[in-house]
Amino acid sequence: MNRSGLTILDNICLYGTTHLMWLRAGDAYRSALPGQFMMVTCGDSEASYPDPLLGRPMSIYGLDVNEDHVRVGILYDVVGVGTRWLSRRSPGDVLEVLGPLGNGFEPDLGLRNMLLVGGGIGVAPLIWLSEWLVDRGAVVALIAGARSIEGIFPKELLRPEVEFISVTEDGSLGQKGLVTDPYRQLLSWSDQSFACGPDPMFEALHAILLEVRPTTELQALLEARMACGFGVCYSCAVFPKTGGAVKLVCTDGPMINSRTLYG
Amino acid sequence: MTSNISEIDLQTQLASGGKTELILKNPIMVGSGTFSNGVELSKRFDIDKLGAVVSKGTTLRPRLGNPIPRTVETAAGMLNSIGFQNVGLSAVVNDYAPRWEKWNTPVIVNIMGENFSEYIELVEALDGIPGIAGVEVNISCPNVEAGGLEFGQDPQLAGKLIKAIRSSVQLPILVKLTPSVADPRIVAESVAKAGADALTIFNTIPGMAIDIDKRRPTLGAVFGGLSGPAIKPVALRHVFLVSREMDIPIVASGGVVSGTDVIEFIMAGASAVQVGTATFVKPDAAWQILAELVAWCDSNEVSSLSEIHGAAK
Ligand SMILES: Cc1cc2nc3c(=O)[nH]c(=O)nc-3n(C[C@H](O)[C@H](O)[C@H](O)COP(=O)(O)OP(=O)(O)OC[C@H]3O[C@@H](n4cnc5c(N)ncnc54)[C@H](O)[C@@H]3O)c2cc1C
Ligand SMILES: Cc1cc2nc3c(=O)[nH]c(=O)nc-3n(C[C@H](O)[C@H](O)[C@H](O)COP(=O)(O)O)c2cc1C
Ligand code: FES
Repeated sequence: MNRSGLTILDNICLYGTTHLMWLRAGDAYRSALPGQFMMVTCGDSEASYPDPLLGRPMSIYGLDVNEDHVRVGILYDVVGVGTRWLSRRSPGDVLEVLGPLGNGFEPDLGLRNMLLVGGGIGVAPLIWLSEWLVDRGAVVALIAGARSIEGIFPKELLRPEVEFISVTEDGSLGQKGLVTDPYRQLLSWSDQSFACGPDPMFEALHAILLEVRPTTELQALLEARMACGFGVCYSCAVFPKTGGAVKLVCTDGPMINSRTLYG
Repeated sequence: MTSNISEIDLQTQLASGGKTELILKNPIMVGSGTFSNGVELSKRFDIDKLGAVVSKGTTLRPRLGNPIPRTVETAAGMLNSIGFQNVGLSAVVNDYAPRWEKWNTPVIVNIMGENFSEYIELVEALDGIPGIAGVEVNISCPNVEAGGLEFGQDPQLAGKLIKAIRSSVQLPILVKLTPSVADPRIVAESVAKAGADALTIFNTIPGMAIDIDKRRPTLGAVFGGLSGPAIKPVALRHVFLVSREMDIPIVASGGVVSGTDVIEFIMAGASAVQVGTATFVKPDAAWQILAELVAWCDSNEVSSLSEIHGAAK
């Protein structure tokens, strides 16, 4: 965990309202893992406090590391004041960023067939996970769902080895329906699943997992309202439906096994 | 010439006399509920540099806290309705106090009871435990149904509570007051007379937000407490009003984000300040604020905080 000024290298609108930003990062990011996140300050830091005040949690979309540089990417949807401010920054501008934070995905590298499911902007942390898994010899399928074609990540930017299944609610691209449909179909093939999206999606995926392939696990990357991002404010609580202990998404997660959440 | 921290006299005293002494090496504390129990950040930053640490609000038994959403950002601040998610008294005594004992900075346990006897049970269990340097009695939490504010808005009840606590323990007693009173001097006088060593002024200001898409309150618990830079002018007025009439040490809490905020509170009569919401923005905010305070003293040729204490009164 390290808070520092990161210089913007690139900031473009990639599709629909979704933007891609690359930043020059420090050595603290060399050991970052897929599913970890950062708190990005989305306001000028000239005054004694930024406006808006609190950092915005953003998953690490990508990491590009070599001997003389570290670059970290975020893929973000413009939904409010902070992300709009982000979308207007230019290369050369400096952002205050705290990271890397949290516990990311924990793929079992002894397994082979990996099934990834992203709902909406939930695809952001899965792109890097797909690359990371391919590099380690896994076979990867990625299901991306959105309301319409505007919300679907461009297939060309994926590794060619990754099987990509897109689903839209209005049928404007790929299958018409929800991510749960292809999930049910592919689950018997898969050895381990990873998902990021809204809470009801995890619950639906977990129910299918218990029905179709209860011997495998689903790792869910949760979202929550955060204030600090490092475990001191208790804003980001999740109450597992199992009745188990309250978890903090920022420090216990954001990856939490679906069994811990739903039994 | 730049002086360093050891050349400027930053020491401040919150409780004096015999067993209940509480002296801080500098006036920068971290506020309750904004630093957890300190363990996380003590691994990253030099905890011993801080004046004092105040624990998360502790109740007799562990609590799960309020439903989500628990926070929402507001103009220059935020609302929270965490609702006392905490590990409970016995974990504080058995698991945390032994770690705090190793620190070279005092830890003050913030406590919240639902009734009179719970407060007494809490302080009696904390008294004499190595690693616990004092208690901060929260009679001002807007985020619980019972206790909290009930005591904080009633000078008689508050006085009676603090008197009972004073007669049960040797620990230094800070009393955390509420902003939700017409005249802060009345409760302040009552608890000071009852034997409080210092007053923390103040807790969050009750407020709410509405989600216009859902047509419902944004926070799961409906109401929350406002904190951050937005509330500093209100806290400053309360500190000023109380310090003008009373001699008791005052710990200011509300919107401190910079060294100059600290100077303002000290000039209004505060002996120390708590850094709260600022920590969420930058985990090392308290350390940076301390450095800014030192730099200000340096460039203004202030060699001891006593030179500016209450200067604006
Ligand atoms: C661990 C984690 C990782 C995330 N990763 C990404 C990512 O990779 N890409 C991405 O686009 N978004 C991501 N988000 C969501 C992102 O943080 C919010 O969209 C962002 O904070 C909105 O900020 P804003 O100022 O633009 O919106 P605001 O004006 O603050 O609010 C607009 C909307 O955003 C939602 N929102 C606001 N604050 C938060 C918050 N702290 N957490 C969650 N939702 C919030 C609100 O429900 C509201 O409807 C992630 C959230 C978490 C918790
Ligand atoms: C998320 C959060 C949790 C808090 N929890 C407590 C608590 O448990 N007990 C307490 O006395 N005050 C609590 N407070 C109040 C702070 O200690 C402080 O008094 C208040 O936030 C004002 O200071 P600030 O503007 O610097 O944050 C909490 C504040 C926040 C923002
Ligand atoms: S966001 Fe503060 S504890 Fe998780």
